[in-house]
Amino acid sequence: MLGFLSARQAGLEDPLRLRRAESTRRVLGLELNKDRDVERIHCSGVNTLDIEPVEGRYMLSGGSDGVIVLYDLENSSRQPYYTCKAVCSVGRSHPDVHKYSVETVQWYPHDTGMFTSSSFDKTLKVWDTNTLQIADVFNFEETVYSHHMSPVATKHCLVAVGTRGPKVQLCDLKSGSCSHILQGHRQEILAVSWSPRYEYILATASADSRAKLWDVRRASGCLITLDQHNGKKSQAAESANTAHNGKVNGLCFTSDGLHLLTVGTDNRMRLWNSSNGENTLVNYGKVYNDSRKGLKFTVSSGCSSEFVFVPYGSTIAVYTIYSGEQITMLKGHYKTVDCCVFQSNFQELYSGSRDCNILAWVPSLCESVPDADDEVNIIHTTFLVMFSA
Amino acid sequence: MSRKRHRLVPETFGLKRRRELGDVEADPLRCESGSAREAVAEIVRLFPRVLFEDALPPIALRSQVYSLVPDRTVADRQLKALQEQGEIRIVQLGFDLDAQGIMFTEDYRTRVLKACDGRPYAAAVQKFLASVLPACGDLSFQQDQMTQTFGFRDPEITQLVKAGVLTVRDAGSWWLAVPGAGRFIKYFVKGRQAVLSMVRKAKYRELLLSELLGRRAPASVRLGLAYHVHDLIGAQLVDCVSTTSGTLLRLPET
Repeated sequence: MLGFLSARQAGLEDPLRLRRAESTRRVLGLELNKDRDVERIHCSGVNTLDIEPVEGRYMLSGGSDGVIVLYDLENSSRQPYYTCKAVCSVGRSHPDVHKYSVETVQWYPHDTGMFTSSSFDKTLKVWDTNTLQIADVFNFEETVYSHHMSPVATKHCLVAVGTRGPKVQLCDLKSGSCSHILQGHRQEILAVSWSPRYEYILATASADSRAKLWDVRRASGCLITLDQHNGKKSQAAESANTAHNGKVNGLCFTSDGLHLLTVGTDNRMRLWNSSNGENTLVNYGKVYNDSRKGLKFTVSSGCSSEFVFVPYGSTIAVYTIYSGEQITMLKGHYKTVDCCVFQSNFQELYSGSRDCNILAWVPSLCESVPDADDEVNIIHTTFLVMFSA
Repeated sequence: MSRKRHRLVPETFGLKRRRELGDVEADPLRCESGSAREAVAEIVRLFPRVLFEDALPPIALRSQVYSLVPDRTVADRQLKALQEQGEIRIVQLGFDLDAQGIMFTEDYRTRVLKACDGRPYAAAVQKFLASVLPACGDLSFQQDQMTQTFGFRDPEITQLVKAGVLTVRDAGSWWLAVPGAGRFIKYFVKGRQAVLSMVRKAKYRELLLSELLGRRAPASVRLGLAYHVHDLIGAQLVDCVSTTSGTLLRLPET
């Protein structure tokens, strides 16, 4: 560590190397910390979490009772002991609250003035954060499993919605109606995700064991159906291509958008090359998955070897993405973990589970000696300030 | 929480080691750390040829290779390389989409030729072995591939299915298969369940590996305890915990 610092100072090494090395070191030290807590508001399982991409300060959570809560993650008190407080919430008494379970929430990618939420009550609601009122509602014929808005889109404001029907709907926020439909799947769509690299590329995962990559500008169908056996590409075989041997539950692009991770109910996780749909055959072993709806997992960003955090029963399994090695299992929840998000500025992980808790996993690097408490804390916070700049 | 930091992530990124892990003593089944080919050869040695009167090629399973080669991604890549060179064939065993059987191409070829000797479909099978096998190393074959590239007619394909060399996968596509493998699959599935139930019935649902291997195999285990244990470890149907008395096999909670 001191070697890295002096090399950076002397100009022998790129500043990015020090940042990546320290981020990786911090991710490897993730654990539950008695000093960090998230206020408990939900009375039923937490289904979804999302941290806003602009500052990484505010977090949204959606629960099985339809409640949406907004937390402030920043520690502005000078104490090490901090509880992330709920700033506001859409509770059961709110006139526009969702009737059933909220499945996905997402911040508007460009600022925190707006967020979207979709639920089993067949609606997608667009909320204004400051007044906590609904700006728009999209109604569907089937329950909504998942929705996603592109984080890099500047030319369109489409929200991709996956429902219990086999068609992926694209809703336009500017016009307020569904602009078009992507046909190709045969059963319910469990997860959708836009590519963080190209604003028109969308990946969808369905219960018919298929995962497809689409270009939404193209009218004639999907670009690629992912095939786990990497067989020969021929028209006749397209219909037999399956990404998993069970339902495909979750999708996540890596932070550079070059690779795509999928998990399925066959207890496997696969890594795909997102440009040609090839299975890279990285083997993560058994990734236990019996979720009947989507599984929300996440990847780290800014580390030298990227990590993926997958809910595994009541624990969270951490793997290195490109080598498939299991680093650790984070144990702490009492019941099944449903979702997790990574805060890349401070390398923290937040996870929500059916036991109504949201846990914060914080890097633990130096154990504070009881006598030298103040000194260590000052050094710790100085480092944090240096590297987050 | 696991405090072990694996050495594959370089030391610069790791935390300071709290304590050094002692050497794990070599267990009877766990000392292999070489290549996938050695692993397949090792399992082939464990395969009971006498049981099938040498009519079946010795089959190893993919999960057994994972048990012997610790890094799964490396094992997958090596198996793929061996498959591309034509040294091994991988077939889909029918009972589980995950379980794939691996055997040396030479063994497969000799056994299939012996099995179809003197039968009406011998000609079609020989043509298949001579033209399709060396050319296409995949697990499955498509209709247009068989008719156009290799010049098989529909009656010939029906004969291949009757011979047991091809199994129907979908309309117009077939899996490669081993003739006579039905008996092997039956013994394998029964044996796997029997060994798993041995662990399940133990106190606290865990057994030391040395104790499991030392026990008398129940009558339904015909392929040998070591063969099945490799498969269970590799398929992650049991968790392997290293203890001071050796490796412990424990059923996972989930």
